[in-house]
Amino acid sequence: MTAIIEVKSLSKSYGGKRGIVDVSFEVAEGEVFGFLGPNGAGKTTTIRILMALIRADKGMARIAGRDCWDDSVAIKRLIGYVPGEPALDPNLTGGQILEYFAHLRGGVDQGYLKGLVERFELDTSRKFRQYSTGNKRKVVLIQAFMHRPRVLILDEPTSGLDPLNQLEFDNLVKEARDEGRTVFLSSHVLSEVEKTCTRVGIIREGTLVRIGDIADLKDIKRYEITIHFARPVPAEMFARLEGVADVEQLEDGSAVRLAMQGSADAVIKAAAQYPVVSLTSYEPSLEDIFLRYYESDGSAPKEAARV
Amino acid sequence: MFRSIFLKTLRDYRVAILGWGIGMGLVIVSPMASVAALISTPAQRAALAGLAAQFAWNADPIAADTVGGYATFKIGIFVFLICVWPLLAASRMLRGEEDRGSLDVLLSVPRSRAQVAVQKVAAMWTALLAMALIIGVLAYLGGRAFKADFGLDGGLLFGLDLALICAVFGGIALLVSQFTPERGPAAGITGALLGIFIVVDMVHRVIPNTDWFSRLSPIYYYNLSKPLLPSYGVSVGGLLVLLGLAVVLSAAGIWLFARRDVGATVRLPAWPRLPQGAAAPVRALPATDWSLRSVYARSLGTIAWPTFWWTLGFAAFAAWEIVAVHQLAGKLTTILASDPNGRALQVLQSVGGKASGLDALLLGALFELLPVLLMAFAVTQVNGWTADQDDGRLEIVLSTPQPRVNVLLGRFAALATATVVVGVVTLAASGVAIAVSGVSLDTTNLAEAILGMIPLGLLIAAIGYLAAGWLRTAADTGLISFLLAAWFFISFVGPDLKWSEATLRLSPFYYYGTPLLHGLQLGNIAVVVAVGAVALALASLRFARKDIAV
Repeated sequence: MTAIIEVKSLSKSYGGKRGIVDVSFEVAEGEVFGFLGPNGAGKTTTIRILMALIRADKGMARIAGRDCWDDSVAIKRLIGYVPGEPALDPNLTGGQILEYFAHLRGGVDQGYLKGLVERFELDTSRKFRQYSTGNKRKVVLIQAFMHRPRVLILDEPTSGLDPLNQLEFDNLVKEARDEGRTVFLSSHVLSEVEKTCTRVGIIREGTLVRIGDIADLKDIKRYEITIHFARPVPAEMFARLEGVADVEQLEDGSAVRLAMQGSADAVIKAAAQYPVVSLTSYEPSLEDIFLRYYESDGSAPKEAARV
Repeated sequence: MFRSIFLKTLRDYRVAILGWGIGMGLVIVSPMASVAALISTPAQRAALAGLAAQFAWNADPIAADTVGGYATFKIGIFVFLICVWPLLAASRMLRGEEDRGSLDVLLSVPRSRAQVAVQKVAAMWTALLAMALIIGVLAYLGGRAFKADFGLDGGLLFGLDLALICAVFGGIALLVSQFTPERGPAAGITGALLGIFIVVDMVHRVIPNTDWFSRLSPIYYYNLSKPLLPSYGVSVGGLLVLLGLAVVLSAAGIWLFARRDVGATVRLPAWPRLPQGAAAPVRALPATDWSLRSVYARSLGTIAWPTFWWTLGFAAFAAWEIVAVHQLAGKLTTILASDPNGRALQVLQSVGGKASGLDALLLGALFELLPVLLMAFAVTQVNGWTADQDDGRLEIVLSTPQPRVNVLLGRFAALATATVVVGVVTLAASGVAIAVSGVSLDTTNLAEAILGMIPLGLLIAAIGYLAAGWLRTAADTGLISFLLAAWFFISFVGPDLKWSEATLRLSPFYYYGTPLLHGLQLGNIAVVVAVGAVALALASLRFARKDIAV
């Protein structure tokens, strides 16, 4: 498939402060691409360059073969956009906001728009200032999807949505994918990206550190199990088990903390041979994963690694 | 400065303290500069005193032939200008923060609501005192420069009197904002009350034995003190009444704030409440709403209400001036007839410009304020444009296939439309007033005087749009407000200070001239239009290339 989003050696700084450094990636048409990274990693900077809201210091960003800055108007005919911190006229009602952006985009299918309003159960008569955080997010999501854009650029789109509306959002993304449209979705929530995306890029401290298929993320999707026993146990016994990446002995040897990848079946069966006081499982945050995988050896990767 | 709510709020006011302090100080000094030339001989002094007596509705004409007395008299009803800042600041203080959602976080700190509000009010009062200090010192320095007979204590007490009346209207705005869902209506209602109180105070100077009525207005107590007039002095009682009112009103506002839901209003009895909207959710879309069809239409829709109120104010002011002139002309004719040396006419001409017709001469004096007000309207609209950028409200607009230049020009075109509406309606109201009152006036000159203000309004807007390419809201608004004050000073004080022609040409008022008397000079107005067009073109270029909301 041809690349609809092409980013090459993109850099941006704000005065002396780091924005992004030498970021390169491509997104194929029809792909749902997740852009993962902790807060302040450079996701929004990358997206705002794609949206021609800010200009890159160097490098190239293209959508559908056109330069994002030079051909921004033509590109925006293809795009639906959800900003990270949406701000809209607080005195307009949700309905007025949707109609306004429908006009600015040259008109939309009113039937489809009404369908989206129904699906998200949005009360269009209330002023934007009166909406809850979740309802504000609904308005912004609807305006991004309502013209059935060829490319959707969504910056942390589900922030503030309740689970039901998150499900509705997931369905919309799936529909877009099924119709061959492209979705570029940024998030700092691993599980969200895992649900909806086919491929991901991971950015940290302004640098793209990893890019690949979602299935290949498994190696970074570690979790921890801490087991307390009634008496000391041989920790090396766990090191040999399937799924155990690392073992740390705690206290006087009566507790172990295991870094896990994949199934915990072997660990549970091995632990059952000893008197277990407690067992806790902890899924680390993305930030923890980054810290562990990219700083533990003291050298963060400088270039994107292909997995 | 981040150690307490008080210091943080005071820090937020630092630009305003300097801007308003210096700006208002200059406004007070400017009549001191002009009066020096009007009182060089005893005959001129007598003529000025006689003239001032005819304008008693504006202010008490006490010792108007002295520097301090004339300054006190000339400022008169312009106290409204000084009260604008506390009115806006107090309506923003709690309600504005609720609008932005920032109050929720602030109220999560271990302080009671009353403590939070008291610290904010204290910061505003401190800011007012700082402004008063700047105004007082500038008034004193101005007095010294123009040989006034009041000292530093007079200047500082004058500043204190101003600070107290400002604190009263700040208190009113704070109280009103407890009953309004947004800060805009709170500011609007307080502004209307300010206008009403100014008129209520005027009544006792125009109609005998109505002192009791004027006492209902805080402005009355403000006017009881005239510290720039050492022979008149300060009314301690008046100052205490103002202080008491400010304390009571602010305390009432804080008391209500501490008891109501954050984000909600104080619940009124059933009868004055607005009808509630439908409870059931609505899914309908306003597909036929004209104001949603383009950036221009939306911008026009956004400024429709402010334009309506400003237009109403302009039209009423212009019509009132014309009617007032008609009433004054008869009395002035008597004064001028009893003044064989023509001193009174000289005084009037130095205020209103050279003209042979008395009506035009008087109107020339009164109309000098209209272009300044129209430019102030433009400044408020520039403020909206920069605030939209700072708050990220352009981000989704710019994600649509609209060229950036179109977004800026659409917004500017709406402002241009609004200023044209203000001008045309003001002209129509003036025409009606002329027909009703029978004032003798060259209607072509009147039309040129009113419509000629439009390029001035658009000039300052274009400069504001240009500066918005680099500056944030407060800095941009502060810059063009200062520019407006500087232009005002150059044009209305510069000639008395014998400034060079090159300096006077720096102000657009120079190019506007005195169209009511001499018609509009097309060459001059073309200069204003050209400078405005260049500023707008540069603003468009900058906006097309700048990073948005960084």
